[in-house]
Amino acid sequence: MIQIQNLKKSFRTEEVETLALNGVNLKVAEGEFVAIMGPSGCGKSTLLNIIGMLDNPTDGSYKFAGHEVGGLKESQRTQLRKGNLGFVFQSFNLIDELTVFENVELPLIYLKMSKAERKEKVQKVLERMKIAHREKHFPQQLSGGQQQRVAIARAVVTNPKLILADEPTGNLDSKNGIEVMNLLTELNQEGTTIVMVTHSDRDSHYAHRVINLFDGQIVTESQNKPMGAMV
Amino acid sequence: MFKNNLKVAWRNLKSNKLFSGINIIGLSMGLTIVMLLFLFISHERSFDSMFPKKDRIQRVLLKTDGDFGFETWATVPPATALTMKEEVTNVESAARLLKHNFGRPASLRINNQNFTEDLFYWVDKELLTIFDIELVKGDAATALDRPGTVILSETAAQTYFNQENPIGQTILVDNNRELEVTGVYKDFPENSTLDADIMASSNGYWFYDRKSWGNASFETYCLLKDNVSVDATQTQIDQMLEANVTKEGRWYSFGLQPLSKVHLYSASYGNSYSSRIGDINEVRNLTYLAILILLIACVNYMNLTTARSQKRSKEVGISKTLGASSESLVGRFYVETGLITAISIVLGVALTMLLLPSFNSLTNQHLTMDLLLNPTFILAALGVWLVTTLFSGLYPSMYLSRFLPKEILSPSLKRGKGNVVIRKGLVVMQFAASTALIVGVMVIYQQTQYIQNKNLGFAADNVMAISIGGLRGDENRNALEQEFKNLSEVTAVSMAQGYPGMDVSGRTLRKNDTEEHGLNIQTNVTDAGIVDALKLHLLAGSSLPKFKSEKDTLVEVVLNKKAIDYLGFSPEEAIGKEVYIGIPNTIVGVVDDFNYESLHQPIGAYAFNNSTSEGKSFMLVRFKSGNLANTVADLKSTFTRIVPNLDFNYSFLDQNIARMYAREKRAGQISIVFCILAIFVAALGLFGLAAYTAEQRRKEIGIRKVLGASVGKISQMLSMDFAKLVVIALFIGFPMAYFSMENWLEGFAYRIDLQWWVFALAGTIALGIALLTVSFQSIRAALTNPTKSLRAE
Repeated sequence: MIQIQNLKKSFRTEEVETLALNGVNLKVAEGEFVAIMGPSGCGKSTLLNIIGMLDNPTDGSYKFAGHEVGGLKESQRTQLRKGNLGFVFQSFNLIDELTVFENVELPLIYLKMSKAERKEKVQKVLERMKIAHREKHFPQQLSGGQQQRVAIARAVVTNPKLILADEPTGNLDSKNGIEVMNLLTELNQEGTTIVMVTHSDRDSHYAHRVINLFDGQIVTESQNKPMGAMV
Repeated sequence: MFKNNLKVAWRNLKSNKLFSGINIIGLSMGLTIVMLLFLFISHERSFDSMFPKKDRIQRVLLKTDGDFGFETWATVPPATALTMKEEVTNVESAARLLKHNFGRPASLRINNQNFTEDLFYWVDKELLTIFDIELVKGDAATALDRPGTVILSETAAQTYFNQENPIGQTILVDNNRELEVTGVYKDFPENSTLDADIMASSNGYWFYDRKSWGNASFETYCLLKDNVSVDATQTQIDQMLEANVTKEGRWYSFGLQPLSKVHLYSASYGNSYSSRIGDINEVRNLTYLAILILLIACVNYMNLTTARSQKRSKEVGISKTLGASSESLVGRFYVETGLITAISIVLGVALTMLLLPSFNSLTNQHLTMDLLLNPTFILAALGVWLVTTLFSGLYPSMYLSRFLPKEILSPSLKRGKGNVVIRKGLVVMQFAASTALIVGVMVIYQQTQYIQNKNLGFAADNVMAISIGGLRGDENRNALEQEFKNLSEVTAVSMAQGYPGMDVSGRTLRKNDTEEHGLNIQTNVTDAGIVDALKLHLLAGSSLPKFKSEKDTLVEVVLNKKAIDYLGFSPEEAIGKEVYIGIPNTIVGVVDDFNYESLHQPIGAYAFNNSTSEGKSFMLVRFKSGNLANTVADLKSTFTRIVPNLDFNYSFLDQNIARMYAREKRAGQISIVFCILAIFVAALGLFGLAAYTAEQRRKEIGIRKVLGASVGKISQMLSMDFAKLVVIALFIGFPMAYFSMENWLEGFAYRIDLQWWVFALAGTIALGIALLTVSFQSIRAALTNPTKSLRAE
C-alpha cells in the first residue's frame, strides 16, 4: 500500500537548512500495523505528514496504492486524501465550536454525502466508539479519553484504507490510553492499515512492526508478535 | 514604571508591524481629516470677528408676511436706517449698503481706460465708523462726507491706478457719474462678510435721503449703544415701523441679526449682497463627518487590539503572576494607545500640511497653516489626542487587564463570547456608517446631475450676458443691438434688466386695482427679443412689441403660466387682458413656466415687461454653437467699435446658473473624498481584523484541511462570517442614509426621489469592498499548509 524510496525532506529557515528526513525507505503492506519510534526531532512526525499527504517530500518517491504522490499539487493531494486517509492526533484537534456529532460529520460533508447518509454513518461510528450519548456536547465538555474517541470516530467515519495516528495516547492516562489502543487494534483487525508514531514502548507492542527513526534515517526495524486486543 | 511601560509599548509597536501600521495609518488619516476640517470650520467661524465693535453690530432683516410666502431678506427699505437713527434710541448709528445697480457690475472709466467692477457698493458714511474701517490714505472721518466721493481698497487702488496716488483722481461710473477718490482702505480680510472693492458715498446718490418704506434693497447695519438689550431694541424697531408705515403698507416686519451670525446663518435669506456667504449646515455636516471618520479609526484600534488579546494574554498573565495590579496594566495599555495616537497626530499634522493645497482647491478656500500654530489649535490637537487615546484605549485596556492569570496560562485557552460580540458590533457599526456614506454620495451626485440636466424651461446654453449698464442713450443701445444682430454667429439679441438666476424686481400682481392682497411677482424689464434669446416656450400671444415710442406710457407684459393661473385665465384668454403690477399692464403673451431661481425654490409668478421703471443692464446674445473664441472676439470688436468708452464685460448664462449650485457642488466633492477615506479606513480595520481572525482560527483551518476541505471552501467559510456582519450593517446603514438624504433633498423644490437601486448598489459596493478585503486574508489562511498549524504545541 505504501512504497517509499529514498525519501528526503529538508526545512529552510533564514539561516540553516535542516534535513528532517534523509533517505528513508519503507514499505507498508495493506492490513499492516506499523509503529514509528524515535527520540524527539528524529523526523517521525515529518514522515507521518508526508505519508498522510499533508506535506510534499523534497526528494525521493512516495507511492500510495500505486499512485506517485510526491509531485502532486495541493488540490490533487486533497482529492486523494479524501475518504482514503484518517488522522488521529495527540492533541485530538477537535473543532471547539462544533459539537461531537458535527466534528465527526465534517469529513463526510467534504465528501459531499447526503444528509441522511451522513447521519446514519455518524451515529453508527459514535455508537461503536461508545460516545453516542455525548453527540450534542462540545469537545470542551468531554474528558481526554472521550475526546480522543471522538477523534478516532472522525478518522474512521469515512472507512479509510489507512489511519495515521500521531501519538494517539500522548495526552491520555493509562486507562484511556489502553482503551484507545484497543480501538485501533480492532480497526486494524477489520482490515484498516495503521501507521502510528509513538514514544510509548507499551503502545508499540500493539503494532506488527516497529521502525526506529534517528536523525532522519531508519536505524532498526523489528517484528512484533501479534498480541491482539488487550482487555 | 512609566518608562518601562513606554519601552514595552515601543517594542510591541515594532514587533507587530502590520497591526501598528494599520492603526497608525487609520488614525493619522482620521486625524488629518479632523485637522483639515478644524481649519475650515474655524475659518468659517472666525468670520467678522476682526471688527472691534462686533458685539454691538446688528444687521436689520426683513421678514415678509404671508403674501410673499414668509421669506427673510437681508435687505430693507432705505428709510429704515434713516428713521432708526432718529427714533430708535438704543441705536447709536446705522448705515446702508447698496451694491451697484441692485447687484449689477459697475462700468468704470479711469484715465481713459475701461474697467468692470463687480464689488462696487454705495454706502452711508457711518459704515466707516461702525466697522472701524481703517484708511491707509485719506481721512476716515471725512472721506465719504461730500457728495461724489469714493474710497478704494488697496487692491482696487493698485489695479486702477497702478503706482499713482489715487487721492483726488476721478472715476467715471457707468459713463454718467463722476466720483472723486478720497481714500484708500486696507483690503477686507478673507473672513469678512464685507467684500467691497470700492465704496462710494451715498451722499448725492438717489437714495441718500429717500424716506421710502418700499424698495427693500438696502443691506442695513446698526450699531447698538453700550449695554442695551437686543430685545428692547427690537421692540423699539417694531414701534418705529408701526409709527411710520400704515397697516396696509406693512407687508413685512423687521428683525435683528447679530454680526457674528451673518456669515453662517444667512444661507436661506434672500438678497444678500456679499459674495462670501457660508452655511451652518455645511459646517455642521462636515463636523459630523469628521467625528464619524475619527470614530471609525478609533474603532479600528479597539478592534485590532482586542483581537490580538490572545497574543497579549500571556504577557498579562505573567505580569499578574509576578504581582502587577489591574490598574498598572490599564496604565500600560493606555501608554501604548497614547504612543500610537501621538505618532498618528504627528503624521496627521504632516499629512495636513501636505494636503492643505488640495483641500483648499477642493473647498475653494485660502486656508493657511498659520492656524496650526495658534494656541487654540495646539490646545485642540492636545484635546483630540487625549480624547482619541482615552476613547480608543478604553475598551482594550479594560478588557485585557481583566484577564486572570489562571485561565491565561492554562493550556486550553478559551475566551468568553462577549469579546467577539463587541468586536463584531464594532465592525457592523463601521460598515453601517460606510454604507450610509456611499448612499449619501450617490444621492448627492444624482441630485447634482439632475440639477445640471433638468429642463429649466429655457435654454441657458450659448447665451452671453454683456453688461451695458454704463451704456447711455437709446440710440447707442439700439445701434449696438443692430450691429450684434448683423453678426452671422448671432441668432437673437435682447436687452434686459436681468437674466434667470439673477434677482430682478419684486412686485405684486393684482387682478384689478381694488384687489387687496395679490401675488408676489418678479418683473424684468426687457424687449421683443427675450423669447428668442432665452428660447422661452410661448403658450399664447407673442413676445413684447418690437417698437415702443418713448412717450408711450402703456406697459405691455408677457406673463408666465404661474401668473395667469393665479389670475384664473387660460393662456389664450389672458391675451389682451389688463392686470395690475403696480400700474396697469396689458398681457400680450404667455410663456410656459421656467426656473428663474435656483432649483431650491419653486417657480413663482414672473413677468417680462417693457416699462421704463428699471434700466436694462444686460444685452443677452444668443449665438450659434461652434467656434466660441471667434464669436467672443467678434462681439468684442463690435462692442468696442460702437462703445469705445465701456469695458467689454460678459458672462455665460449656463455658467452663471452653475454657480448657483457651487455650494452643493463643493459639498458633494468634499463628501465624496471623505466617504472614500472613511471606507478606506474601515476596510483597513477589516483587513487587520480578518488577518487576526485567520490567525486565531489557524488550527481549525488546519483540521478542516486535513479532513478534506478545499482552499475554496475554507476561504468561503472565513469570508462568509464577515459578509454576514456587513449584511447586518446594511440594515442599519440604509435607514440612516434614507432619513438623512430625504432631509437633504427637502431643501430642493426640484429633487430626485430616492431609488431602491441606489441602496442596492451601495450595499453591493460595501459588501464587495468587505469581501475583497477579507478574501485576501482568507485565501492566504486557506493556503497555509496544515502541518504548520497542527504542529504539536
